[in-house]
Amino acid sequence: MLKLISIVGGLGCWHFLAVWVINDSVLLVSPLVVIAKGYEMLFVTADLYPHLFASWWIFFYGMILATVVGVPVGFLMALSPLVRDYVSPWMTALYTTPRIAFAPVLLLWFGIDIGSRIAIVFLGCVFPILINSFYGMRVVSRDFVEVGRAFRLSGGRLFLKILLPASVPFILAGLRLAVGRGLTGVAIAEWFGATEGLGYLIFFAGQTLNMPILFVGVAVFGVLGVLGFQILKIIEDLATPWKKELEAK
Amino acid sequence: MAGPVLELRNLRKEIPTADQEPFVIFHNVSLTVREGEFVSIVGPSGCGKTTLLRVINGLLSPSSGQIFIDGKEQTGAGNDLVMGFVFQGASLLPWRTSLKNVLLGLEGRKGPGEAEEIARFYLNLVGLSGFEHHYPHQLSGGMQQRVNLARALVVDPRILLMDEPFASLDAQTRTFMQLELLRIWSQTKKTVIFITHMISEAILLSDRVIVFSHRPGKVRSEFAVPLARPRTLDIKSDHRFVELENVVWKQIEEEVKITGGFTQM
Repeated sequence: MLKLISIVGGLGCWHFLAVWVINDSVLLVSPLVVIAKGYEMLFVTADLYPHLFASWWIFFYGMILATVVGVPVGFLMALSPLVRDYVSPWMTALYTTPRIAFAPVLLLWFGIDIGSRIAIVFLGCVFPILINSFYGMRVVSRDFVEVGRAFRLSGGRLFLKILLPASVPFILAGLRLAVGRGLTGVAIAEWFGATEGLGYLIFFAGQTLNMPILFVGVAVFGVLGVLGFQILKIIEDLATPWKKELEAK
Repeated sequence: MAGPVLELRNLRKEIPTADQEPFVIFHNVSLTVREGEFVSIVGPSGCGKTTLLRVINGLLSPSSGQIFIDGKEQTGAGNDLVMGFVFQGASLLPWRTSLKNVLLGLEGRKGPGEAEEIARFYLNLVGLSGFEHHYPHQLSGGMQQRVNLARALVVDPRILLMDEPFASLDAQTRTFMQLELLRIWSQTKKTVIFITHMISEAILLSDRVIVFSHRPGKVRSEFAVPLARPRTLDIKSDHRFVELENVVWKQIEEEVKITGGFTQM
């Protein structure tokens, strides 16, 4: 209920600000105008969909690739001090460098193509996933590893029956963090030489001072973020039914 | 009768430190435990009793000394599961139900059907029939320790190692679990090494009470408990129980004083 009041109140302030204070459609438009424009682009002209799908696919591939790479590397780092020592300085450097700085380089390497865009999304997503996988396996399961060893589980069994299940909640939390960073990656990627996608839409609207379209693009990003977050939350609840009730306590 | 189930000879555990002198946790620990005997180890906090239990189990290796089980020297943690370990805290795997937690030690050692039958038998023994499919967080602290006990018993160990299993329970539940352990022990006849800092608990449960000195820990003294079994709570008012409790308490008090008194604990 409070959430609803908060949302309606926020939109009300925005409307008030746009119509009564600024009153200049080049700088700010009312949320009502944005909603109307969004409705039009979705259901009347339907010209939002190509952008939506273009963004969705690079986001999807970027996330999948980041998971496929991040989880095993995180695990290896947790299990092998050697791998940890080799990877961690690079990881720290790449993680802390602003990703936008890589964009021109990646464009040069992969061309103005879907490949470079996926690479930018991947760079954003991979670190939260990698770090959480590492953390889950290394730190949190320590007590449980002792149980496994006391019951004489072999290396493979120890991994499958103790380390992996203990890490699952952390991997999923990493994926949730990655959603936001992945969407940022989508926006950055599509600002550089793309001809479609939500990032392109926002960039283009900004250049042509088309406020309604600009805000529709931003709003769709927001909705996608919330949606991705919620979907992962549902997956988390399904995959770790024991954890949900633990949190409720 | 055959030889002892467990024999410790001059066990020593130290941790290297930055200084020249290593940090000695316990030393000169020699102990013989007979088949079916219930032995408790009591001692002041930080005397190394828990570390000793981990060394016996093979989770840690001793710095020197030998461990014999049924006359066979133990070298590191082998793959044979001859010891059941009941952990102190929340060591149940939260993603597994009671039944699955109990099955842990049997997976890969017994066929699934047989394993489940055994697991259900021990869950029943510890009084948890009907809770097979509950997750640990759905169980009370006492029930969790029952699962913990069943998980250790299910592998039919030669020795059951118990590391302050009731430490986190409230006083009432604790007393009740002590009686439950007496019942379960009388039905399984396991050889038990039980770590506790509660003297009355040690006397109530044990055939023999070992008193550990302050750090570096070593066996200070040991007492046979001259009380017949089966035991009930009534024996706590038996004069022999009370006398033994006083004697052991005096010794532990002395040990605590050497380290600087209770304010240092």
